[in-house]
Formats: sequence, structure tokens, C-alpha cells
Amino acid sequence: MHNELKITVMQTLESNKKIIEESTNPISLDLPDFTTDSYKDAYSRINAIVIEGEQEAHDNYISIATLIPNELEELTKLARMEMKHKKGFTACGRNLGVVADMEFAKKFFSKLHGNFQVALEKGNLTTCLLIQAILIEAFAISAYNVYIRVADPFAKKITEGVVKDEYLHLNYGQEWLKENLSTCKEELMEANKVNLPLIKKMLDEVADDASVLAMDREELMEEFMIAYQDTLMEIGLDNREIARMAMAAIV
Amino acid sequence: MFGLIGHSTSFEDAKRKASMLGFDHIADGDLDVWCTAPPQLVENVEVKSATGISIEGSYIDSCFVPEMLSRFKTARRKVLNAMELAQKKGINITALGGFTSIIFENFNLLQHKQIRNTSLEWERFTTGNTHTAWVICKQLEINAPRIGIDLKKATVAVIGATGDIGSAVCRWLINKTGISELLMVARQQEPLALLQKELDGGTVTSLNEALPQADIVVWVASMPKTIEIDTDNLKKPCLMIDGGYPKNLDEKFQGENIHVLKGGIVEFFNDIGWNMMELAEMQNPQREMFACFAEAMILEFEKCHTNFSWGRNNISLEKMEFIGAASLKHGFSAIGLDKQPKVLTV
Repeated sequence: MHNELKITVMQTLESNKKIIEESTNPISLDLPDFTTDSYKDAYSRINAIVIEGEQEAHDNYISIATLIPNELEELTKLARMEMKHKKGFTACGRNLGVVADMEFAKKFFSKLHGNFQVALEKGNLTTCLLIQAILIEAFAISAYNVYIRVADPFAKKITEGVVKDEYLHLNYGQEWLKENLSTCKEELMEANKVNLPLIKKMLDEVADDASVLAMDREELMEEFMIAYQDTLMEIGLDNREIARMAMAAIV
Repeated sequence: MFGLIGHSTSFEDAKRKASMLGFDHIADGDLDVWCTAPPQLVENVEVKSATGISIEGSYIDSCFVPEMLSRFKTARRKVLNAMELAQKKGINITALGGFTSIIFENFNLLQHKQIRNTSLEWERFTTGNTHTAWVICKQLEINAPRIGIDLKKATVAVIGATGDIGSAVCRWLINKTGISELLMVARQQEPLALLQKELDGGTVTSLNEALPQADIVVWVASMPKTIEIDTDNLKKPCLMIDGGYPKNLDEKFQGENIHVLKGGIVEFFNDIGWNMMELAEMQNPQREMFACFAEAMILEFEKCHTNFSWGRNNISLEKMEFIGAASLKHGFSAIGLDKQPKVLTV
């Protein structure tokens, strides 16, 4: 009986007819104008974040190798890949005639960078992997996936190549954590509680610039949550544990 | 493996269910949080057919809620992400339930094949419309005589005749039932004329003209909330089959000798032991489900891994017969008037 009442207030397709007409227009991909000053201004910060992110990723993988020396070869390979990405993204900025605002980018990453360094000094490998191989990689993958849909043709091609590599990196941290889950779960949860909110803040901080690049905040957040949830699931956490971890992104 | 992609009927409801299932991170969130929530594989289940075959399946909640219909980009992402999840989980055949297939069709999602690093394989999905259309036709054939309507003398109106389900129902009614007259109502006149030509029968008319003439009305259009209908002008008895989504007909048609039947819902012969259909708010959630969901199960029972119902106006009589026979064989039956909830005074 109760059901009927609720269904009464349910939205119907009919009540949203205008939206549907709008949505079925021939592919309205709404690419932004890459040549405007406002686009270039926003790009100078977003591009810098990406370049800095790849540099830090490189440094972080090299650092992680000091904690697991027998993985040195694999980690060096990953690090080298990140440098290749950095070069690619630097070229994207150059192609648009944009000078990346590296000072902004360094500040943007400073808190997360600081947390990584502290964990590294303490030898907290789990925390290091959570920050680099899960949070930063998921953040990067989500941003790149959204960017690909609205990028200029040159950047689109480069970003597509990068995304393929990034899935490998996400996989690397994932595999290690999966194997060691029984001993690292507590640290993982703790580190997540501290660092996931930073990711959310970083996302909010670039939301306005991203929207100038036609990257929607809601979509970025959703892409991040998908990559993040996928990884945690692969590691072997159950729905409730993931829900508890993801909670940190909301409060 | 079969899959079912579903969603809650309202935002409030979705939050309540998420809390029940332990998804606290979204249960506490506002609509914006839900707009960024990934699809969730909520439940795995094993189902045993009346023939003894066992299959496994999963229920995926897309985290879409009808309140998102006004945000088409969000709605589009919810559907595509849920489909991607189904494919990544290796599910052979997944039914698109509730608004999922409606959004897929109306928002033209065929052009979005690439989702991140997954290229969606359409053959893994079915709208379930063939089974829904067959079930609606069976509900009509079985229940009309029960309330004293002789099919051979009956005038049947199909509202939404040019839609995927509507056109299939018209095709079946003309060719398989021997009804006296078919009235076809739809918003767009051009496809309606084409359908009439294809069927070589049926009368094209308007809603207001059709209703007073019809002994049976099959609704397969999304009904405008604002529509007002004078029940005094309806024939008595009159059978109304609510085959649209959401099912909101019974609040509009109340009165003696007006029988509203929830269309496109089937009952399984055995308890399934899942929580999924409580989420979909069925009367008997252990056995009842949308016919579109049942289609994915039937296809899995039959090892028929193909997008059986796909695109618009591809539902042939042969396909309806195939899915109908398989439906009965594996233990499904269409729900009838005796299964109806009592009329509720809103």
C-alpha cells in the first residue's frame, strides 16, 4: 500500500521532456574554445598540476623503492613512465601557448606531498602506497578520463596514451596491498582517513578552472570514486569497508 | 551469469535502502553526493529453474534516482557506468530495468560505446522489452475474460502504440488474439501511420476518443502527471493494464468496474531468496519481478547470450513466442488481477 503513495510522487520522463529533447541533439560534445584567454589562464594551472603530479609520482616511486629494494627494477620502470608523461603534458601546454604555473602546482600538492614524506621517513609503506598508487593515481585517471572527452586533439592523443599506463600503476599498488592486506588493513584505513579528504579539497580547489576546460566537478568526483572503489574492491575489501573508507570523502 | 540493473523509486527511498545495506557513505549524502556515487553491485544470487537448471546472477544498483532525470548528463553517466560495471564483472546478459532502458533509448546512449578503458559490448545487454510485451499480452488475454470482457468483441486501445513495447503489443493483438478492434494512440503521427501500414489493421485515434470506446486499455507510454481523465466516460467493465514506468495508473483510475492491473510483472514458481526485489518494491518480493529482469534470467537459462531485445521496433512475433515459451518452461507466470493490491485512496 505504502508503495503506491511513493510512486505517486515519482518523476516521470514526461515531466522532463525538455531535458530529453536537449539531450538527444546530435552529439553536443561542447568542446571549449582552446584559444581564449580564459581557457589559457585556467589551463596554466591545470596543466601545471598535471606536470607537477607526474614529477611527484616519479619521485614517489623512486622513494617507495627504498622501502622495498627488491622491487627497484619494477618501480624504476614506473617512475620512468611518469617522466615520459610529464614530457607529454609539457608539450600539451606548449602546443596551446600556455606557460604552466608551477608555483601554484607545488602548493597544490604540498599537503599530500608532506604526508607522503612523513610516511616515507617512518617507513610506512602502506601509507606511501595509498597516497601514491591509489589516491593520486585514481585522481589522475579520473581527471584524464574526463579531460580526454573535452581536450584539444593534440592533448587528447597524449592523454589517451597516458591513461593506459596509469591503469598499470594503479594495478601495482593494488597488487602489493592485496597480498599484504591482512597486515596492512589498519594502516590503510587510518592513512585513508587522513588523506582522502585532501583529495576532495584538491578537487574542490581546481573545480572552477576545470569547468573552464569543460570538465565537470560532479563528473570528476564520480570518476574518482569509481577508480577508488574499484581498487579497494580489487585489494579485497568488502562493500561495508569501502563504504566506511569512502565516508572520509564526504565529511 | 545474468545481471539486473535497477534503481530506487525515489531519492528518499534510495537513502533508506543504502543505510539498510551498510552503504553509509552515500546513505548520509545529499543528492549531489548521489550524483557522484559509483554503481554498486548489491547482491549475488543463485536461481533454480523449474527445469532444475541453476544459474547465478547479480543485482547492480546504478545509484540513479528519478530526481536525476532533470540532469541528463548525470542520468547518462549512471546508466553507462552501471553497464560498464556489469561487463567488467563478466556478466553475460544484463537487463536494463526501470528508467535504465528508457534513458538508454531516449538519451541516445548508443553513441557512447567507450567507457573509460571498457568498450561496451551491446550483445551483453537487453532491454527486456520482448518479454515485457509478451507478458502484457498474456495478462490481457487471461484477465479480460475474468472480469466479463469477451476478447472477440473487445475494443483494445494501446496508448504509446509506436514505442518498442507498444508496437509489439499491437502486432501480437492483431495477429494472435482475434480482438474485435485495435485503437492505436501515440504522440507522433508519422510512426503511427507506418505501424498501421505494417499491421494492415488498427485504427489511429486520439486518447480522448479512444478511452470511451475501449474495453481494455494498455498503457505503455510515460503518462504526464497532469493528465486528467473522467472515469465516468469509461466503459464498465474496463481493464486497464499499466505497462509503463513508473506504474502510476491506479491513482488516476479508481471506480467500480475499473480494473487496473500492473503490467509487465511476473511471478516465479519458487522463492528466490534475494533482497533485490524488496528494493524494487514488489508485492511478493521473493517471487515477483519486472518481466524485463526475468528476460535476462530466461536468456541465461537458455544460454542465449545475445542482446535479445535491442533498439526500437525489432520485436517480432517469433521472438515473443520464443521468450514466452521459455518463460513458462522455467517457471515464470504473468501476475493477474487477483494479485492486485487493494485500491488505495490517495
